[in-house]
Order: sequence, then C-alpha cells, then structure tokens
Amino acid sequence: MADKNYYTIDPEGRLTCMKCRCKLQKGKAKFMYLDNGFPVELPVCPQCGFVYVPEELALGKVLSVEKALEDK
Amino acid sequence: MKIEERQSTHIYRQKRMFTKEELEAREGLCVHEQPPYCNAACPLKLDVKAMAAAVAAGDFDRALALYEKITPFPHILALGCEAPCEKNCKLRELGEGIAIRELERSALAYGSKPRGGSLLRKKQQNAAVFGADLFSLFLAGELVKKRYPMSFYCAQGDCLSLVKDCAPGLPEEAAEATARLLSELDIDFKWGCEPEAAYWEEREKYALIAAAWDTARQLYPGLETDEAVMVCREHGLITGSTGGVLDSAFGAKRAALSADRIAQHLDPGNTRGEEGCVATRLYTSLEGVEPSGRIPVTDRDSAEREAGRCIQCHCDECIKGCAYLQHYKKFPRILTREIYNNVSIIMGDHMMNKPINACALCGQCSVLCPNGYDMGEVCHIARQNMVSTGKMPLAPHEFALMDMLFSNGEAFLSRKQPGYDKCRYVFFPGCQATAIAPATVREAYRDLCRRLDGGVALMLGCCGAIGDWAGRYELYGETVDFLSEKLEELGSPEIIAGCPSCKKQLLSQGCEKIRGIWEILEELGLPETAEFRQRPMALHDACGARGDAQTQESIRRIAAKLGCQIQDTAYSGDQAPCCGYGGLTQYTNREVAREMTDKCLGRSRLPYLSYCMACRDRFAREGRESVHLLELVYGSAAQQCPDISAKRYNRLGLKQQLLKELWGEEVKAVDLGFEVEYTPEAEERMDDRMILKSDVIQVLQHLRESGEAVLEEDTGLFVTRERLGNVTFWVKYSETERGYLVHSAYSHRMKVVNRL
Ligand code: SF4
Ligand code: SF4
Ligand code: SF4
Ligand SMILES: [Zn+2]
Repeated sequence: MADKNYYTIDPEGRLTCMKCRCKLQKGKAKFMYLDNGFPVELPVCPQCGFVYVPEELALGKVLSVEKALEDK
Repeated sequence: MKIEERQSTHIYRQKRMFTKEELEAREGLCVHEQPPYCNAACPLKLDVKAMAAAVAAGDFDRALALYEKITPFPHILALGCEAPCEKNCKLRELGEGIAIRELERSALAYGSKPRGGSLLRKKQQNAAVFGADLFSLFLAGELVKKRYPMSFYCAQGDCLSLVKDCAPGLPEEAAEATARLLSELDIDFKWGCEPEAAYWEEREKYALIAAAWDTARQLYPGLETDEAVMVCREHGLITGSTGGVLDSAFGAKRAALSADRIAQHLDPGNTRGEEGCVATRLYTSLEGVEPSGRIPVTDRDSAEREAGRCIQCHCDECIKGCAYLQHYKKFPRILTREIYNNVSIIMGDHMMNKPINACALCGQCSVLCPNGYDMGEVCHIARQNMVSTGKMPLAPHEFALMDMLFSNGEAFLSRKQPGYDKCRYVFFPGCQATAIAPATVREAYRDLCRRLDGGVALMLGCCGAIGDWAGRYELYGETVDFLSEKLEELGSPEIIAGCPSCKKQLLSQGCEKIRGIWEILEELGLPETAEFRQRPMALHDACGARGDAQTQESIRRIAAKLGCQIQDTAYSGDQAPCCGYGGLTQYTNREVAREMTDKCLGRSRLPYLSYCMACRDRFAREGRESVHLLELVYGSAAQQCPDISAKRYNRLGLKQQLLKELWGEEVKAVDLGFEVEYTPEAEERMDDRMILKSDVIQVLQHLRESGEAVLEEDTGLFVTRERLGNVTFWVKYSETERGYLVHSAYSHRMKVVNRL
C-alpha cells in the first residue's frame, strides 16, 4: 500500500549518528500534535532510530502546521 | 502549579460567552454606525455626509445620484426645503454649519445623470392621482419610481403649468427643469379635467387612488386622514394635507409606502420600518477642528471648498488611540461579534484566536470611547472561555506562563527584614523590575529598609497578572492563593508595590493595604542616590495606572523633583496606550506589540520616562532613550535590554545576591561539569525563538547521558535534541575543550516518532 507522506528528506549519506557510528537513512516517521498525526520520511538512524528534524523544516513547514492546528 | 497542553483539536465542548442580551448590550455601546447629525435630521433620509464627500471630491454626478435618490423633483426640493439638516450640522457647535442646500444645488447645476429607463418591471396594479398640489405631484413621481402604471387627472393643460401651479414661486429655470423631468416620466396625463371631481367615477379603473387635499375635500367634505400613513381609511383614498416643500415631499413618501401596503392588501400601517428623521447617538470629536464660516457657493470650485469643510462626522475615538484596533481595522462592535462567533465554533478554524490574544487588555478603549466600550474585557472573557472549553491553544502563552511559574518558583523569595520578627511593610517590586533592572530593585529595597520604621519584608515574585491575562483562571487562582499564603506568613504587612500593574492586580485580589513605592518616596523624600538633572522628557503613563489619578500625579511630582521637565504627550494619563507588553501581546503577536510600541513612541521625540519596567524595556529595545523612574531615583544604569535568558538569570541572580548579602545564605552554584558558550548569532536566534539558555543546557545534559547526536557533514556541526515539557529543543553545537559552543538552537511543539 502506498502511503501518503507529507514530507520527504533523503539524507544522502551526509548525516551520521554519533551514537551508532552509522549513516542516517531515509526512514519512516510521524509528526504528532494535539491528536493529529502526519506521516513523513526523514533521516533516521537505522540502528537506534534517532529521527533528525532539520532546522529549516522545524521553522518552516512544521511551524506552519502547528499554527494551523492550534487554531483548530 | 502546572500548565497542561490541550489534548486534542477535536473538542466539542462549548460555552457561550455572553447571553444574547449581553452581547447586544455590549454591541449597542458602539455608535460608530449611527447616522451623522445631518442625515439623521432629514426625513427623506438624504445621505448628506456622502453627498458632501462627493462634492468635495468634485464628483457632482455622484452627488446628484445621491440627491435624486430621495426625490423625483430635486429642483423643487433644493430651492424650497426648510433644511433641518443644516440646523443639525455638528459644525454649528464651533462656527457655521455646512450650506447643505447649496451643495444640493451645486449637484443639480454641475452633475449629470446617466440616461436610461428603469429596468424594473412595471407593477400589476395601476394608480391614479386626482387633482394637483405639491403633495400629489411628489406622490405621482414617487409612484412612477415604484413602477406603478400611473394616470394623473388635472385641470392644467401641460407640464409647465402643472409644475407652476403646484410650486408657485419656483424660479422659471427650475420650473422648466422640473417640467422636463415630469414630461419624461411615464405618466398618462389626463389634461384639462376641470373640475377634477367630475372625473371621479373613473377611479373604478384603478387599484390605487390618490388625491390632492383640496380635491379630496371637495369629494368628501369633512374627510379625515391618518397623517402618519396619509390614508383616509373610510374612503380608501390616499391623501393628506401638507404644508411646505419638505412636508409635501415627506408626505408623498409616506403615501407611496402606504400605496405599496394597500397593493399587497395589507393595512397601510403594516411593517413600515423607520420613517422620517431619527435621533442619533453618534459621537464626533471636534478636537483639532478649527471653527470656520460658510464659503459662498458660486461655482464648482467654491462648492467643492464648502463641501470640504464637512468633517464627515463619525466616531473612531477607540481606533485613533489603539494600535491593535488599527491593525485589525475593525471597530469593537464588529470585533465583538466575530469573537463571540469564534468562541462558539465547534469544528474548524478559529480565525479570531489571533485577535483575541493580541489585545493588550489595557482598557484604553474604555476610556476613549464616549460610551466606555471595553474591548479588552471582551478579549479577556473570550480567553477565559476558550481555556474553559479546552479550545485555547497553549502555544501563544506558554512561554509567559512558564516565566510566571519560574518567578513564583525557583526565583521566588519571601523574607522578613533581617532582625525583625514582624514587618510593617513588604516590598513587592514585580517580576519585570527584577528581570530588567535587578540592581535598581536591590538599591530600592536597601533604601526602604534603611529609611522606613517597622521592618520591610521582601517578596520577589509575580503578581499573577500573566496567568490572568492568559485567561488561565485556574492557574491564576492558585497564584492568588499562593501569594496570599505567603503574605500571611509575613504577617500580612502593608504592600509596597514597585509596579502599577502589580498594585492593580494585588488590589483586585483583595489586598487592601497597598501603596506604590512612589507614594512612599514622596513621604520619605528622595534618597541620596537620586540625581537631580534638568532634562526634558516625555512621560508615558502605565496602563496599569489607568484610573489611578493618585499614582499618575505622584509620579509627576517625583519626576519634577528629579528635574524632569515633563512634556505631556497626546494620550497621557488615563488615556495612555499600552507599550505592547500588557495582555501578553509581546508574546502572542510581536507585530502588533511592535505597532503598539511605535504608537507610544510616536507621541514625542524626547527620551521617555516611564514607571512600569515593561514599558521602559520595550521603548529601549526600539532604540529610544528610555528610563524608569526608579532608575533615576536609585541612580542605576538604564538602557540595558536583557534578553530572555538574562531576564531569568537576573531574577535568580538578584535572589541569590540578596540572600547572601542580607540573610547570609550562600546558594551553592551548581557545577554542570561542562561549559557552554554561544555564538552571537545563536544568542540572537535564541532570543528571537524564545529559547532559554537553561533549555539548551538541559538538552546538552541529556546529550551527555545518552550520547545521542548527529553529525552534519555539510557544516561539520553536531545536532542533538531533547523534549522538555511540550517542546522539542534542538541544539547545533561544536565541541570545545571544556564543553560546547552552541551555533544555533531551534524547537518545535510537534512530537516526532518512528513509524514502522
Ligand atoms: S469609540 Fe469606538 S467603540 Fe466607542 S462608539 Fe466610537 S467607534 Fe464605537
Ligand atoms: S459636518 Fe458634515 S457630516 Fe457632520 S453634520 Fe455637518 S454636514 Fe453632516
Ligand atoms: S489593546 Fe487596549 S485599547 Fe486596544 S482594544 Fe485592547 S484593551 Fe482596548
Ligand atoms: Zn543511532
């Protein structure tokens, strides 16, 4: 089943998990806020599962979705 | 005390903000939509104000269109109307009122109307008028306008003689113009019917019958009419006696409306709406309006200039003074209705959340409005309402609320003056003063201890205003309890407030014994630290001192003693605008808060003197020389603008310093085991993004325990994160010898989780 992703980032090997010493890969994650969930694809550590949220994403898309939900 | 995020956006609870009556009562206070004085006096409902605006703009076509709306025969009216509008013109309070009739005449002289007939379909029922007088002439015109097929039985033989007989004394030119208009009307004239009464059987052919007053009396001697509707019910006849031009025109209007009712087989008195002139409740300020006399109207130009004297009466007292209302470009009445509706929305977007949370709750509007419209109260009630139903987002207020919890938690201090078992006073400087000017607070407290008898306790904390402003009534209630308990522990001494807002807030909590430090300073005289220097300054009254004349005056006296030559600005005293901090605007809407600050500063170019530390801080941030009265009294450095982290640090630092100096208690500094430094960009961003250094430190502590971080190849920096409360904080850093150099920090409220 093709599931809908609101956002996709591929780290393309440029991010390393310092704990596991391995490259982050494009992986499945989910943003949750006030009872609402949004599936996304973000850089994830294949071993420990650390999900990386880049600054631009946090200050851009994430913030605007937060704001929209806050006024629901 | 804890603040909880709401759990869901799917909340179906609902609570009305006001009863219908209360809503209407509030809305009814606003007179913005009341008619201007001139319009209100015109029984024909001419929009004088709009007509004057059109003439002033040289748009005589529009002026004419407005004028022709009210009468079929404008030349007769313009020359003969008694013009009650002119008597009611607001400008007469100052000088001469607008020559409204001259404007009407100029519209007729210089305006032209587009040709073309009415697009409306003719009505089924036909109508006839028997006999000619000014009333019946106007009525015929009105009925044609209403698209009744129209017949006119009269003794005259042509339009011009008909007009002249109906309006004797009308100048030739006007009579001819009117005759031309009349001839263009779709009327079936039955000329030469003399006497008109002889043609009375013909009435059988018409559904609606009207008559000139004399004709009617010939037919039915002793006939009586209901003047209000111009109908003789006994004979089913539309008629009435009128005197004067305006009375005839207005009588014809009432009669034409009766014709509509009769055509619909209704009683003529049925649902007529508001007719004639009305009483207006409008308020219009004449401040800044120079008295002026009439300009004789002889041509277009002079007409435009005379119309240009019209001040376009309206009320916008509240908007003129308030940057918030200016920002949203809405009058309180409209805002109230929209906010009321917003609160009742069950599902979907709450478009008014921003405006609800952007008001400073300062009450300036309630003073400026002639009827005391208090928009702040409406917004405050809306906030509480939405908190109670779980619809209020936490995000806009969370930082401020956490700040309050910090002030009344980690940074809170309540102590008796050393050596005293019981204190007569307690100094309550307020959370802003301790955050922004801790050295001043320290000096002030030491001075009070030195010079007051009976012991002065100290309470460093927040009065609760923040919780109250956010509408978090439960949290506020807990704060009130907490403070009253602490005050009791001190033996309920008299409170010396350092801030007018604290004073107001504590008073509302039932603290009876409370004075401002300014009042104490007036009693004691100024301390040695006070530096006398002559300097012109603008005084900004605190919104917390609204309605508190004693405080406002006391501040002015002290300022004078310090050598300040106070130049009172517009909107001073009770009318003062808020600096942008009040109501938490600073946190919820930076744009509006800034506009508020600009509005305050726009009043004068001088350095500003204020007596609320939040005002002093916001003005200084905007680059204006700005000083708090206590900074002048206690001679400590002004113009520092601590960032959000420094504000917390200052509060904590002051507490620790005083504990050590006065109570001999050393607070052990916690050794983190590592050092944190920040790049200037990081500090700037953190202040802008409301991220505290203490947040960053917690994230780094977590990093040390978990080792969780990512290396960004592009920048060579590490990134780590931790969730603290409702927020995930991210820190971008590089490692240093003894710890970390922070390059950036950011945050989001959404939780991010793995998904399989
Ligand atoms: S001041 Fe504002 S709220 Fe009051 S009547 Fe005028 S427009 Fe309405
Ligand atoms: S100043 Fe203008 S708007 Fe005001 S009452 Fe006079 S004509 Fe009317
Ligand atoms: S900011 Fe102040 S003056 Fe403006 S609407 Fe709110 S309470 Fe009234
Ligand atoms: Zn890992």
